Amino acid sequence: MQERENLLRIFKETKEAVSRDDVVKIKNLSDQTTNTASLTHDPDNIASAVIIYSLSKILQREDYKKLPGWNKFYGVYMKSIDKSIDALERRNDEGFGQSISEIRDAIRNLSGKLKDYIQDVFRSAEINKASRIYEHGISMERTANLLGVSLFELARYAGEKEDSDIPESITISVKQRVNFAMEMFE
Amino acid sequence: MKIQISGKDTQKAIVFDSGTLISFSMNGTTDLIEKLKGIFKGKFLITSEVKKEVIDTPLRIKKFELEALKIKQLLDDKVLEMPSSLGIADPEITIKTNEILNMANSFFIGNGREIHLLDSGESSCLALSRILTEKRIKNILAVDERTTRMIVEKHENLKEFLEKKLHVKIKINHDSLKFFHGFKIVRSAELAYVAYKKGLVKIRNENVLDALLYAMKFKGAAISGEEIEEMKRLK
Repeated sequence: MQERENLLRIFKETKEAVSRDDVVKIKNLSDQTTNTASLTHDPDNIASAVIIYSLSKILQREDYKKLPGWNKFYGVYMKSIDKSIDALERRNDEGFGQSISEIRDAIRNLSGKLKDYIQDVFRSAEINKASRIYEHGISMERTANLLGVSLFELARYAGEKEDSDIPESITISVKQRVNFAMEMFE
Repeated sequence: MKIQISGKDTQKAIVFDSGTLISFSMNGTTDLIEKLKGIFKGKFLITSEVKKEVIDTPLRIKKFELEALKIKQLLDDKVLEMPSSLGIADPEITIKTNEILNMANSFFIGNGREIHLLDSGESSCLALSRILTEKRIKNILAVDERTTRMIVEKHENLKEFLEKKLHVKIKINHDSLKFFHGFKIVRSAELAYVAYKKGLVKIRNENVLDALLYAMKFKGAAISGEEIEEMKRLK
């Protein structure tokens, strides 16, 4: 596992933010894991980014909390965060992996609308994090493979982001590039 | 393997990466690729890796099945062709792809770690382009995503960008540098521009170029609004 101490801090701060219902802070914490994930491509950091970002989205939805199965699911989610912290403190990589898997299992065990909603939140979180890693300079295909999302989904999401204009990506003049294309068709 | 060049028609090629095909497909404009091929005296090529990404895998995903079928049709109609149509076998591309992957993914070092920037699809396009050049076949790459383009065209910009985004000091492995020279890259936007200029776009409206270029941008082509506006002003 890469950047264990950083991940431990992020999980601890996430727990505190949950207790204060501070979803903005939780989202910011998930962005911090994106940095590490972009640099290391470490699966544990990537999974953590998705889980923490999803949590920030789920907690914003008051309507989910009224659906059958919510209390059990939320209980497993929070317990898994506690277990993650414990595993990171003990340097127990296997235990950390298990605690992350428990959240996935809890989603699989949901039923009805809540299952659809939560699955959708996680899928969106994966695409969001993929887009963020692409923004960090990793190629689109590499990013799609890291997050297990389709290139079609990532291309659409990345293209529609308002901040997709990056000055550094202008590498040669417009005229020169158009000429490359026009010359081939002469 | 020695290539048999039969006349002028096989002496140039455009190598398509996944993103460019995705942009055309998701915008419902694969007919433009077909029309461009109609006026192109050469081949439009895709590698096996790209085929996997834009046809084989999405054909199994209901959400993108239609997009994949549109691209598959281009291949079935021989608008797009595999490198074997020029006598270039997959193992030759694989060897070069691995070489490029190793170089690209050890090009930048941050916090003592090699930063893995590219994957096999993009690398296979660079590999095929390099093989074509070695065989004296004039070629360009059609790549919509920015990272490959920045490595090839202005690695200093990518270094600066990675440092800003990853908050680490980046070192460059200069041994890999020379390998990335000599590639020419266009995007779906430039191909759409050519289609417009050559009168291949059916829609008759003064805003059609603007619409086409922004459509490509919103489906993933890494082109800025500033570049689009400049492109519209070109005579």
